[in-house]
Amino acid sequence: MIITYNWLKEFVDCNLPAEELADLLTMLGLEVEAIRHVGGGLDDVVVALVESKDRHPNADKLSLCKVNNGREILDVVCGAQNFKAGDKVALAQVGAVLPGDFKIKRSKIRGEESCGMLCSEKELGLSAESSGIMILSPDLPLGVPLFDALGLKDTIFEVGLTPNRSDCLSVVGIAREVAAKLGKKLNLPRVDVVEAGKSVQEFASVTIEAPELCPRYTARYISGCTVAPSPAWLVKRLESVGMRSINNVVDVTNYVLMEYGHPLHAFDADRLDGAKIVVRRAADGERFVTLDGQERVLDASDLTIRDARRGVALAGIMGGENSEIHQSTTNILLESAYFNPSAIRKTSKRLGLHTESSHRFERGADVNILLIALDRAAALIAELAGGSTARGVIDEYPTKIISCTIDFRADRCNELLGIVLSAQDIRGIFESLDFEVMECAPGQFKVTVPTYRVDLEREIDLIEEVARLNGYEKIPVTMPKARVFSDRPTRHQRYERQLRSLMVGEGFTEIITFSFMSPAVFDKLLLDASDPRRNVVRLRNPLVEEQSVMRTTLLSGMLETASSNINHRSLDLCMFELRRIYQPVADQELPHEPLYLAGLITGLRRPAGWGEEKLPADFFDAKGVVEVVLDAFGIPAVTYSASSVDPFYHPGKSCVVNSSGEILGSLGEIHPDVQDNFGITQKVYYFELNFEKLLSKASPRVTVKAPSRFPDTFRDIAMLLAEDTPAASVIGTIMGLKIREIESSSVFDLYKGASIPQGQKSLAVRIRYRSSEKTLTDDEVGVLHRRVIDALVKKLGVSIR
Amino acid sequence: MKEQLDQLLQDALREIAGVNSEDSLQELRVKYLGKKGALTSLMKGLGSLPADERPLVGQMVNTVKSQLEEQLAEALTGVREAAKRERLQSERLDVTLPGRRGGRGTKHPVSLVIEEISEIFGSLGFQVAEGPEIELDFYNFEALNFPKDHPARDMQDTFFVDDNILLRTHTSPVQVRTMLKHAPPVRIISPGTVYRCDSDATHSPMFHQIEGLMVDKGVTFGDLKGVLTTFVNQYFGKGTGVRLRPSFFPFTEPSAEVDIACVMCRGAGCRVCKQSGWLEILGAGMIDPEVYRHVGYDSESISGFAFGMGIERIAMLKYGIGDMRLLFENDVRFLSQF
Repeated sequence: MIITYNWLKEFVDCNLPAEELADLLTMLGLEVEAIRHVGGGLDDVVVALVESKDRHPNADKLSLCKVNNGREILDVVCGAQNFKAGDKVALAQVGAVLPGDFKIKRSKIRGEESCGMLCSEKELGLSAESSGIMILSPDLPLGVPLFDALGLKDTIFEVGLTPNRSDCLSVVGIAREVAAKLGKKLNLPRVDVVEAGKSVQEFASVTIEAPELCPRYTARYISGCTVAPSPAWLVKRLESVGMRSINNVVDVTNYVLMEYGHPLHAFDADRLDGAKIVVRRAADGERFVTLDGQERVLDASDLTIRDARRGVALAGIMGGENSEIHQSTTNILLESAYFNPSAIRKTSKRLGLHTESSHRFERGADVNILLIALDRAAALIAELAGGSTARGVIDEYPTKIISCTIDFRADRCNELLGIVLSAQDIRGIFESLDFEVMECAPGQFKVTVPTYRVDLEREIDLIEEVARLNGYEKIPVTMPKARVFSDRPTRHQRYERQLRSLMVGEGFTEIITFSFMSPAVFDKLLLDASDPRRNVVRLRNPLVEEQSVMRTTLLSGMLETASSNINHRSLDLCMFELRRIYQPVADQELPHEPLYLAGLITGLRRPAGWGEEKLPADFFDAKGVVEVVLDAFGIPAVTYSASSVDPFYHPGKSCVVNSSGEILGSLGEIHPDVQDNFGITQKVYYFELNFEKLLSKASPRVTVKAPSRFPDTFRDIAMLLAEDTPAASVIGTIMGLKIREIESSSVFDLYKGASIPQGQKSLAVRIRYRSSEKTLTDDEVGVLHRRVIDALVKKLGVSIR
Repeated sequence: MKEQLDQLLQDALREIAGVNSEDSLQELRVKYLGKKGALTSLMKGLGSLPADERPLVGQMVNTVKSQLEEQLAEALTGVREAAKRERLQSERLDVTLPGRRGGRGTKHPVSLVIEEISEIFGSLGFQVAEGPEIELDFYNFEALNFPKDHPARDMQDTFFVDDNILLRTHTSPVQVRTMLKHAPPVRIISPGTVYRCDSDATHSPMFHQIEGLMVDKGVTFGDLKGVLTTFVNQYFGKGTGVRLRPSFFPFTEPSAEVDIACVMCRGAGCRVCKQSGWLEILGAGMIDPEVYRHVGYDSESISGFAFGMGIERIAMLKYGIGDMRLLFENDVRFLSQF
């Protein structure tokens, strides 16, 4: 909503500086989003009197003038002829800067001194064309800046209104708030409609056939109008609030719209068939051309204004082309009606037709302003377009709308706000807002609110009014006297936070990608047609097709992120995302939203230092991180199996992560085709873990073993074994012996090559022996180690090197 | 014999004095005190001496031996000290060369802000509550007093899955779910991801909010001011100005927008605060009785407040981020700065 200060001042006596007024409005909940000063910067152009005008001695077309600016008499040379001594004119004094960066300097023109310039409207930016200089009204005060004297200086306020405040969609509405806050009176314009001739009933009739959608319809008839351009003041005022001037009749309806906030419509009465107005629902499929030239297809939920034969307006939204005011219109039927808010909203939404009118009706207009707005507009039309207003008004009011009366308790108000206001103070606030207050018991009121305040229906709404008018800043700052109870973060939250910190500790950068993705992603990931991840939640109104389904995997976002970073020459990446995916569940309204961890490594394993070998990351870097995560969660019985891995992995360099037979996730090198599909030209390692499953398996370690105080001994075994025997079965065999003295066993070398027979590999394992009870002797270790070797030979057929 | 001993001592002392390495000292020890050393050889000659001279010469030998050992030890200490001094003198690193390090991981700024804010409200007794992002209309709108076909719904451009299911437009549905599950007192904050179909320099179709809710006996609007002021002072620094001004949200009444004194200019007026000196960071208010009706609370016996803020906005203010899109481009050159 845009208003101007000068316009506002017509309704309330307010002389606050613009910034203070903006602050006052903002603190009333009418947020001023911008202030613009207009007509400023020309303070050196003042009202001046031409004392004398003589011919320039050296030029026929110039005159030499003595000009009085209220303080001194100045010599000014002027080329215009349209003025005479005694005229008041606009004098740009030395120092003034006119539009177009035209600086006024002291100068000599054909040998004569000139201390300023007499200006035309064009030179002052007041009109596009002008002939001669501006002759001012003789009653303007001398020496006063011209724009002040003409009232052209103004301040424009852009007010951001919340949808509940339809009463403030007008200058009067905002003035009413200012008046209430400042304790001033609201001055509404006096309207005198001069009626003449026949009664309005003789020119037109109104029938409401849908009273549930149109509770009230009022109208006046004005005959003999002349449609013409609007006077400058009206054009300027409409332009200042962002409206375009059309003609004097339409402009008046718009003026009253901005002034009172009530939408009016003017019909060309001669184009109304049968001189009738019928308010009725449209027929299903009915076609109607609105005055923007668009053909609209209507249905029975849309309300239309019709004449005897056809629709002439889409009620409360836009008039029809067939009955609009045009150059030769002489007789006007002026409508001021009230329409059902939700009906207007439905139609406006469905047709995508949002107008100043629909904006107000759908938020709730004031049923009691109808006649006031109608009279105001009729009087202005009669004034600006001539014409005579028929006697009386049409006022069809089948569905009465009554003021809302609300029970109010001062105690409850104070209790909820944490303030102490007397019943008297509160009553004062209500009365400043023109509410009717009746005290039924001490501190208990019956408050009747005006019909323009559609937002007030309940006690709590009135409590807000008290807080608002009294000022939010006056409510003391207190801390709640709350009951103490403890609720630590849930296990889910604690583990999630721990995992995020763990990943960061592992050197991973957290990314957050959009939860939506493109349905084309599944093909890029080589997923089978039957892959459950293709079963997605689809948005009905996505912004773009690339964001039209909710993701069922974090992989695509991860690969897209890797790709764009690599394009920016960030080649070494360690990234993770810990976010939800969205899986539709059969027979459930809402999908499952499990939290997943995804990680990606590419490029170098760690930042390349100086003087050291640059190691490219590989599968085992990814696996190492997975191991750390599983270890941190205390996941028992983890196995890594290379079968049935996802198709987006390299089939030979990937695996599924299991714990006690349940799949927790997967990891591996991304398939070269997938890499290509995402435009990535370097090897990428990826892992993903289902956080919910990790959580269900997580077991905090509750007992610890005290470290042994005896020394350790280690023995290494180098063995040859079949190439496809996994290292895990070697370690598994060793640990499976459950020898208490074996503290750990780990692979420290793997070799395949020239010296190793085809189909075999050499694996070296270090076993650390230690007892918690004594120092082990060589012989004791030897016996245990023999058992290990025997088991490896017997179970796995290894040969010891 | 005595002369020989004196001579040996003189020679040895001279040699020791002339040596400056640990190895040479070791050689001298062998030369004089070793199994085949000079002093050992002399001592072997003791037996050929007359019995009455033996004790005296034996004593002399011992004196020479201990003198030598003392001198050797002293010289060794000296040599080692000198060597250490020499090493400390000569060993020099270019300490400006970069350290050898693993990559440093970073949390996303959105996570950082959520964690920090959760911690502050946690210290005030607010527990974190979460809920689904794909939500029923009832929780996202209906129970929060956004009736169907109400202009208030225009405040939030919504992504729909179908007529009844949508992507939540705010984290407020968690309020409803929590209140339906728990009787008062309730004190929660709910951080989370929300969606609106809007995308430009200042709007992202996906963003984050953190929302707070407190319901108990006798909670006042003043308490709301107190809790929010405490939060602002903890997060943005002590003495940061806080201003509440009237606004409208369907699920609170009275409602407020909460401004803080601009963190860039401290209220003087700058580009960031559009010269107003204030930055809008929060929406808040007392919970509307209509919400209580939907969750089965008695609005006469309890009261409470709710507040909500956009995480991205806070992150942008906190870290001086000019463009919201940076937060979701996931450029590691940006993310690694946190």
